[in-house]
Amino acid sequence: MRKFLNGPWVLLMPTLIILTCVVLLPLLLSLWTSFTPFKLTKPDTLYRFVGFRNYERLIGDLDFWIAFGRTVLFLAIALNLELVFGLGIALLINKITYGQRTLRTLMMFPMMFSPILVGFQWKYIFNDNIGLMNNFLREFGVIQPIPWLVDGILANVSIMAAEIWSSTSVFAILLLAGLLGIPKDPIEAAKVDGCNSWQVFKNITLPFLMPFVFIAMTIRSLDVARAYDIVQMMTGGGPAKRTELLWTLISRTGYVDAKMGMANAMSYISIFLSIAFTFFFFYKLIEARQRLSYE
Amino acid sequence: MLRLFLSLVLAVSFFGSFSAKAETELWGDFSGVTLRVKLIGGGQYEGLYNEVIPWWEENTGGKIEIVTQKNHFELDKEIKKDIASGNLDFCVASNHTSFASQYGNIYTDLNNIMPASVLADYTPLILEHSTVDGRLVQMPRHSDVSNLYYQKSLYEDADNKANFKAKYGYDLTPPETWDQVKDQAIFFSNPPDFYGTQYVGKEEAIAGRFYELVIANGGALFDEDYRPIFNSPAGVEALQWFIDLYNAKAVPDGVLNYLWDDTGLGFASGTIAMNLDWAGWAGFFNDPENSKVAGDIGLVRAPMGSGGLRTGWSGSHSFSMTESCPDKEAAASFLWALTSNKAQMIEARGGLSPTRPAIWDAIIAEKKAEGDEFMLMVFETFKMSLAEDAFTPPLIPEWIEFTNALYPELQAAILGDKSPEDALATASKKATEIMEDAGYF
Repeated sequence: MRKFLNGPWVLLMPTLIILTCVVLLPLLLSLWTSFTPFKLTKPDTLYRFVGFRNYERLIGDLDFWIAFGRTVLFLAIALNLELVFGLGIALLINKITYGQRTLRTLMMFPMMFSPILVGFQWKYIFNDNIGLMNNFLREFGVIQPIPWLVDGILANVSIMAAEIWSSTSVFAILLLAGLLGIPKDPIEAAKVDGCNSWQVFKNITLPFLMPFVFIAMTIRSLDVARAYDIVQMMTGGGPAKRTELLWTLISRTGYVDAKMGMANAMSYISIFLSIAFTFFFFYKLIEARQRLSYE
Repeated sequence: MLRLFLSLVLAVSFFGSFSAKAETELWGDFSGVTLRVKLIGGGQYEGLYNEVIPWWEENTGGKIEIVTQKNHFELDKEIKKDIASGNLDFCVASNHTSFASQYGNIYTDLNNIMPASVLADYTPLILEHSTVDGRLVQMPRHSDVSNLYYQKSLYEDADNKANFKAKYGYDLTPPETWDQVKDQAIFFSNPPDFYGTQYVGKEEAIAGRFYELVIANGGALFDEDYRPIFNSPAGVEALQWFIDLYNAKAVPDGVLNYLWDDTGLGFASGTIAMNLDWAGWAGFFNDPENSKVAGDIGLVRAPMGSGGLRTGWSGSHSFSMTESCPDKEAAASFLWALTSNKAQMIEARGGLSPTRPAIWDAIIAEKKAEGDEFMLMVFETFKMSLAEDAFTPPLIPEWIEFTNALYPELQAAILGDKSPEDALATASKKATEIMEDAGYF
């Protein structure tokens, strides 16, 4: 006992207790509810164990798997575009010698808006009747309004535009930090050896940046996989489920239909998606760092 | 039962410029009592609180603490979370006849609390709709039913009359049937500048509109055992009406993302010929500061479907008292105040439909005296509609869950992703699962 009281466990206890209360217990409770028919409006259902019934139903639920697949696709496209735009912005800002701080601050503005506000803003921009986009296009002779938030592809593109506008700066900031940390010597040596700008970027800048890229990817993949507010505001997952992502489906199932047991089963399956992306990006991060150290 | 100190008096209430019928008042001394309340928010609803809360506090010595004030769908989610967590630490909450049956036994049976003389002041049918499993869980605030607003000048235009008759073979007059609405909407449409009509296109809103059209076509959503029967000729015909208007571009392309504010603001923008909407919008539509169609609005009762019935999806906003409320006498008094003659007159002046017969008479008399022909037409039309056409959705806890299963299928058919028959078959299958899980069969 004395050994325990003097050991590191005592020092770790407050952290362990807090983590247990705020992370582990809610996780265990939600895991339990996924094995029950728990309805928010019928608290007694929390104690009725139904085994894997919710999971079995989900396996055969085509709507769920379509939303799952759309979320993966949305994640992959949004993350890659955010990376490309973020990298471009970071490279441009890195070149500036005057006003860089001001630009860095300005670049963070979209991050300061709440996602709900971003959703409202872009819903208005893409409104087929009174939206800015259609009115702008009308000036150029596009008379028939484009149903941005109705068409299956355009609606997803519109949501992605909002998501990218709001979060590209996360990539830009992280990559800019990476760019500022790159030593100048290898770049200057390469230039002396006759490398052009593309060769310098490809062989020196990019390998140095890759760990930052994967850190940004990991952070953003978790954010995008939980995308809810912007989608809910712009389309609510519709029309006809054309923009349904996992979290709009889960939210409607849990809070509107009050079927929290089923919603938690959906959440646990979708967590695997987040774990898979996180694992992939961490693997790539370690690989990039090892490659960097070899070089 | 109310305790003795609760003052129960029969009085004649005087307010505004008229004298209403005798009303049973429910005052008491509630000094030191604070009632925590959760209310529906939004411009249309909050005016009532600004007047009634100070009035009640002044007359009773009690205090009102507004814990939450948000739109009804958000309030619904919050109350469901409260039920799940067992945290029902409020006394009074906004409710609705379409939502009430979801909440189990959290709200108290007002039959045991409210004196019969108080309940006698409300329309009996609305009290019946406010009853769940034999328990009166709501005091009705105002009722909703939709009627058809239209731009009058379109129907007075000689060219329109001649062209319409030449094309469709009958006179251009405000529509009596939903088929006529379709013809006229297509006739008036000139997209993207002008559309014949519009409809709310998602969630419970479109499910409710579909429901009322199925009824008007002579069909039904469920049989007596709550087995879905809307995948029927009446159901397909109802869905086809939405599809035809969408395909003819007689409604805006984005209509499937529209909810009530979008349709209301759309009509006020002057770009819509006909608009099926609630009474609460009437004042807004006829206000030149907000609306481009002010002074040019006609109103007719909701048209008929092929079954010879008028659409009349109806419900009432209401207030409920929690079973866990520690001050039921004070809460009963506050519920009465929120739905009293004074309160209902305040809302009626804004165009909302009262739930007390006395207020219908009073508001119509007031508008006659003022010579306000437009609002007089609004109240007379909605009074008739509520009396003769109105019907509620099935008052079952599964209503909202059912509408969430139905509306994506309706949208899929409207967008052409599925045939109406396929869409209704899928919705019917999902509805069967919901009703089976709920134990109806």
